[in-house]
Amino acid sequence: MARRRRSRYHRLDVKASPYLYVLPFFLLFGVFGAFPLIYTAWVSFFDWDFLAETHQWIGLDNYWRLFSDYTFWNAVLNTAQILVLSMVPQLLLALLLAYALNQRLRSPRFWQMSALLPNITSVVAVTIIFGQLFGRDYGMINWFLGLFELGKIDWQAGQASSQIAIATMIVWRWTGYTALIYLAAMQAVPKDLYAAASLDGATSFQQFRMITVPAIRPTIVFTVIISTIAGMQVLAEPLLFGGGSISGGSDRQFQTLSLYLYEVGFNRWEFGYASAASWLMFALIVIAASINYLFLGRIRRH
Amino acid sequence: MSSERYVERQLLVVSRRLRVFLCTFVALVLPAPLAGCGDSDDGRIRLTVGTFGEFGYDQLYREYEAANPGIRIVERVTRAEDHHKNLAAHLATNTGAADVEAVEEGWLGQFTAAPNRFIDLNTYGAATLKSGWPDWKWNFGTSADGRVIGLGTDVGGMAMCYRRDLFTRAGLPVDRTEVAKLWPSWEKYIETGARFKQQVPDVGWMDGPTSMFRSVLGQQEVGLYDGPDSIVVGTNPSVKKAWDLSAQALERGLSARLVAFSSDWNAGLAQGSFATLACPSWMMTLIQEQARNAAGQWDVATVPGGGGNWGGSWLTVPKQTEHPAEAAALAVWLTAPQQQAAVFRASGNFPSTVSLYKDPVIKDFRNPFFNNAPVGRFFATSVTRLEPQYIGPRTGEIATRIINGLSRVEQGRDTPDESWRKVLREVEVLS
Amino acid sequence: MAVVSPPRRTATPARRPSRRRGFLRHQPSRLTYLSLLALVFFSAFPFYYSIVVASHDNSVVAQMPPPLFPGGNLFDNIERAFGTGLMTRALVNSFLVSGTITISVVFFSTLAGFAFAKLRFRGRNVLLLIIIGTMMVPTQIAIIPLYLLMAKFQLVGTLPAVIVPSMVSGFGVFFMTQYLRTAVPTTLIEAARADGCTTAGVLWYVVRPAARPAAAVLATLTFMNSWNDFFWPLVALNPDDPTVQVALSSLSSGYAGDFSLAFAGAFIATIPLLLVFFFLGRRIITGIMQGTPNR
Repeated sequence: MARRRRSRYHRLDVKASPYLYVLPFFLLFGVFGAFPLIYTAWVSFFDWDFLAETHQWIGLDNYWRLFSDYTFWNAVLNTAQILVLSMVPQLLLALLLAYALNQRLRSPRFWQMSALLPNITSVVAVTIIFGQLFGRDYGMINWFLGLFELGKIDWQAGQASSQIAIATMIVWRWTGYTALIYLAAMQAVPKDLYAAASLDGATSFQQFRMITVPAIRPTIVFTVIISTIAGMQVLAEPLLFGGGSISGGSDRQFQTLSLYLYEVGFNRWEFGYASAASWLMFALIVIAASINYLFLGRIRRH
Repeated sequence: MSSERYVERQLLVVSRRLRVFLCTFVALVLPAPLAGCGDSDDGRIRLTVGTFGEFGYDQLYREYEAANPGIRIVERVTRAEDHHKNLAAHLATNTGAADVEAVEEGWLGQFTAAPNRFIDLNTYGAATLKSGWPDWKWNFGTSADGRVIGLGTDVGGMAMCYRRDLFTRAGLPVDRTEVAKLWPSWEKYIETGARFKQQVPDVGWMDGPTSMFRSVLGQQEVGLYDGPDSIVVGTNPSVKKAWDLSAQALERGLSARLVAFSSDWNAGLAQGSFATLACPSWMMTLIQEQARNAAGQWDVATVPGGGGNWGGSWLTVPKQTEHPAEAAALAVWLTAPQQQAAVFRASGNFPSTVSLYKDPVIKDFRNPFFNNAPVGRFFATSVTRLEPQYIGPRTGEIATRIINGLSRVEQGRDTPDESWRKVLREVEVLS
Repeated sequence: MAVVSPPRRTATPARRPSRRRGFLRHQPSRLTYLSLLALVFFSAFPFYYSIVVASHDNSVVAQMPPPLFPGGNLFDNIERAFGTGLMTRALVNSFLVSGTITISVVFFSTLAGFAFAKLRFRGRNVLLLIIIGTMMVPTQIAIIPLYLLMAKFQLVGTLPAVIVPSMVSGFGVFFMTQYLRTAVPTTLIEAARADGCTTAGVLWYVVRPAARPAAAVLATLTFMNSWNDFFWPLVALNPDDPTVQVALSSLSSGYAGDFSLAFAGAFIATIPLLLVFFFLGRRIITGIMQGTPNR
């Protein structure tokens, strides 16, 4: 009798416990992750002025308006440009850095920690510091350029210069982190591959190009996708680089999608319109990530 | 080494490190908060006052607390944009607002359009005070259905601040009556600026586009709106006039190219990197704050074109307050003539209560920081002649967009015409 | 048995560099060390420069050439940054927020990670896939409804508004699942069960101790992430009762702001992270290197 009760309890325990353990995640995520996501879609069909007391259903009007809103597409373009400007140098530098870190170094931990150091600071602090470095009148970089009589650059004023400055902040912050991910992947590459190449007389850099890079390609794809998703959401850099201005420069020359979202949602309080922009932004992120995936996948097969 | 042992050791290391880390952190950080956030609500009513910029109220709070032992006042100061953004959010969500909230002119329309969210100060006897303010200042704080939402604090008025030392370097006169003669009009102001730049090329004549544009605009009869919900940026020649004059000054290279109120601008004030700054009364407060080392170098003359207004604020009491009577009483007290006079003398914000303008306390006041300029007389004259514009709900946002347009001209991104077309397009989105 | 996938003991070869040329890792050239030195310079310079600016009077900061060496005003500026009371509040808030989130994430991730890694149940793979999917969804696009939700709960402007949405993390579950798969041998769990342990008993006596190293890594990463979070706190909190990052952003832009004050703020906001970094940096590196899909 007692044994049977225990075994029934046991069966219940085995059956129910797993669900009990994963439940909190899905509960909390459902309320604060999934629900808002769906609710965004709902709100996007309204003329939803946050400060008004009633909201009017307008169907797809917000989306039609968005398609012809040049400020939205300007933000899309800026985001894409900053994404490329930051991702390409970041990944290349990270590969080289990982290559260097993967050698027999004295005190490797020290170098690894140095690589990671930029990543631990907050993006806000980074932007404040780089904002000063890129200052027009009293900035360190302009002072340095001045030493070679290269003249001053008004970093914020130009489209290219402002986006380069923002991309620099991102590159500085993420290169070391990416390098560590590559390093981990490199250390997992089977040694015999190298042994064979070494016997064939390949130099170390050749080995790196012909063996290491192809071998860690899945990791590279992973980092590309991760930094695409992150790059689509850049907010603090343009916001603070522009001194807190939500327009991202006088000509919106560095207003990113997130900043645009912030302007529409929390400055103009047009929640319906901002929600529509969120969904479009989501769609664009999915598209960008898939393009990356397919593109890099093609390369892998070739 | 067996794996259990390995885990054990790792654990030890981690927990020891965590402990060291926590102790270090606690030692470094905690003493500060303990000293800082003692919330001693010893039975007194706590009133919060939400302001932005510089209201100059600190001394007055202490005075009020001394006179009303049951009250404790805490001020929350935020950047103007953030302040109004949050006030809007707090009103909409019905939580989080301070007991007394300051509102600036550019944002006021947005709030008088939602009178339900505020206490009608008439219920606390504001009506009897009406005669203290000029009609326009009173009416701005009143909703369409006659509820009194805000009581006027300061008023901008308008003057022109200038650096005596830089004028000397450029061979310009420094005496304020002589200086005023240099710029009877904005055209002359630009001419003088060009002369100045020839002598002193490394210093700006003015700070940037904001102050000049707002000053010229503030002198026009009709501004960005000509009535409720009627934005006239594209059709009102006065707006275009303010635009053209500012753009001209920028194109002639007169600006130090600083974004008003930014950290760079603050640094520019401290460094003396521009020679003139259009000065509503509250601007004097900022100059005194940021250019502490330049006492006596700054002086004040009349503004080109004479008169005008830029800025000024109101105190409101949101309906969600738990202490409406006490909050209203505090707002009334802070905006009473005597307190406004004290603020003006201590920091520079000019009173909006008319009765003071003939009072020697104001009329004869000279500000030592500004080389003993008779700022009382200046601003009293300027404000008495003031013809207020209609201020709509999105005045602040529209002005920001126009000033962005001027920055594009200043940075050489666009010609004035191109930029103006973009401004009209941006304003279109708002309406 | 491999309870832990032990981090490579790098300390030993570092002290006694092997003379033998390896196939795998080449003996570094001088160029390698030079470029690594450049790395150290570029990594550290902005930190150094923030101290330089934070230790000068604002008027010195607005000068050409810019100051290159620290001045004597560091403590003045730090005091000024604390002086408004804002920074103090912000530090306490950030500590509460990040601390609560960290504890919660580690707890729930261990629970779920254990279930996914070691327990059999219907729908396990689908659910795990969903969790991995959530990692790919950008959080920002749900900010508007999240705000409406918080407004409905009257939480806007309060710390719970920032804490609650981050109490679980898809990454955390994924990370713990990956770790516990190898860290806890199934035989051990079976043995415990045979001894009459319930699932909760297994969790407490077997999984909890084994999970600790990974929990430490996850805790550190979570703490740093939530300490640095910006967009949502910026939206959901009041500027006068902020987290450190939001306070910093108002210090850096605004009427009363000046450079040395902003930099002093940046300096203060970074200290806790630097401390975490110096005490636990090695673990963070291990964590990052384990978090790749290769493993």
